[in-house]
Amino acid sequence: MNSEPVLQVKNIHKAFGDRKILQGVSFDVYAGEMLGLIGPSGCGKSTILKIICGLLEPDSGEVIRRSDEIGLVFQGSALLNSLSVRNNLALALDSRNLSRVEEDKIIREKLALVELADFMYASPTKLSGGQQKRTSFARAIVNDPKIILYDEPTTGLDPVMSTVIEDYMIVLSKQLSAASIVVTHQHSTWTRTTNRVVLMFEGKIVWQGTPEEGIKSSDPFIKQFASGSREGPMLATKI
Amino acid sequence: MTYVNTTSQPKERRFTSPLKIAEDQMLIGLTLLGQVSYLMWRTFGYMIRLQIDWGESVRQGYMIGVKSLVVVGITALFTGLAMSLQISRELVSFGADTSIGGVVSLALVREIGPITAGVIVAGRVGSSIAAELTTMMITEQIDALKVMRVDPIRFLVVPRYTAALIVIPTLSTYAMFLGLLAGIFIAKSAANVPPDTFLDSVRQTILDRDFSVHYLKSIINATVIIFFSCAIGLNTRGGAEDVGIATTRAIVWTMISIFILNFVVTSLTYAPR
Repeated sequence: MNSEPVLQVKNIHKAFGDRKILQGVSFDVYAGEMLGLIGPSGCGKSTILKIICGLLEPDSGEVIRRSDEIGLVFQGSALLNSLSVRNNLALALDSRNLSRVEEDKIIREKLALVELADFMYASPTKLSGGQQKRTSFARAIVNDPKIILYDEPTTGLDPVMSTVIEDYMIVLSKQLSAASIVVTHQHSTWTRTTNRVVLMFEGKIVWQGTPEEGIKSSDPFIKQFASGSREGPMLATKI
Repeated sequence: MTYVNTTSQPKERRFTSPLKIAEDQMLIGLTLLGQVSYLMWRTFGYMIRLQIDWGESVRQGYMIGVKSLVVVGITALFTGLAMSLQISRELVSFGADTSIGGVVSLALVREIGPITAGVIVAGRVGSSIAAELTTMMITEQIDALKVMRVDPIRFLVVPRYTAALIVIPTLSTYAMFLGLLAGIFIAKSAANVPPDTFLDSVRQTILDRDFSVHYLKSIINATVIIFFSCAIGLNTRGGAEDVGIATTRAIVWTMISIFILNFVVTSLTYAPR
């Protein structure tokens, strides 16, 4: 792991109206590392991702990125249904002014990584949920990003497909040596794929460590989250 | 029998003054006008620099124009038939049956053609654009475009407006000609006016300026339909219910704007001086 982080999130604050979503969140992510951002629904995980990739502006704090190439895998795949699989990926290559032949070569290569090379000219509407998710993976990595963000990548998938997607995440992260952030509340996803975990609650980081430490920890926050218990500081009514 | 609601407390009834409702609606309207102005500014910027996706514009032209041909045609034909029947009846009673062609064509070129095409396209296409873009917002497709550094205005609005600028005036012309055919048919069958007499009257009455106003109104309609529906679609967030709300808002705002601007153009060009 390199000594200099690829991504630094420093003391981010964000509110929507009176509702404080993020209250001083800070963390670093290094090349080749997969950081799990976990926590109950509404704790600000997805907001952090949107701030990192520039879709939202923080009220205060800063995000330092040592690469402009960011790939984002959306929770619902977010493929453009009016375009073919090929053209969905080609959109991400638009700013590079490549020839059609060069574009096709890159697109075929990325689709092969997720075992979808045969679906290059298919419409996203004809793909299954798992295939759509894999297409959105291919789109996220088409520019060989050094930062990959996954927003709830396994939510809504069956356990077998979740495992397949988790395997892709592990392989892609290693192949690209990218700094990855996985926003999830799926137990298997953060325990299988991540090197380090940050637990958020009510817009703050309340615990961080490795997944192994998280499972064994006696910290009341991570203990409750890992076990899915109603007993603990994250009251069910607040969640 | 007494029913007791055990699931929810009765909602507190609050009186909202008409002044407050008017104030809220004014604010919503001003916000929308601001969003429309911004969208127009950015779209014209791309169009002046010819940064237009022509392939997508052709696809949108097909969606907006070709798919509206049948509904615009039927509407224009029956509007023309009904209007010609009314006009023929009145003019025949005054012994002015040779003027039927002129009066029918005046109404068609100046008002009915652009309004019919505008209103039908606003209902069919404006609502569909608002629903499509709202769905794209809700399903994070617009966010995906931004992350890929693709400007949603260039990708979604510019091709739709380019297509609308060509197909909506074409649809207006098509509506005008179908209305005219309906007029010829009614003049012959109801007032026994031969087609040649009808067309002579048209030629003597219609001026070049009438066609200029016709196309000006069509271009204004295209502008209103595309920018209002895109602005509403690109600024709506929420869930499935909001798609329906956005669709309704798009239809209401485009229809109202089309009729108001139609009157403004008519009053500026045809008002007695």
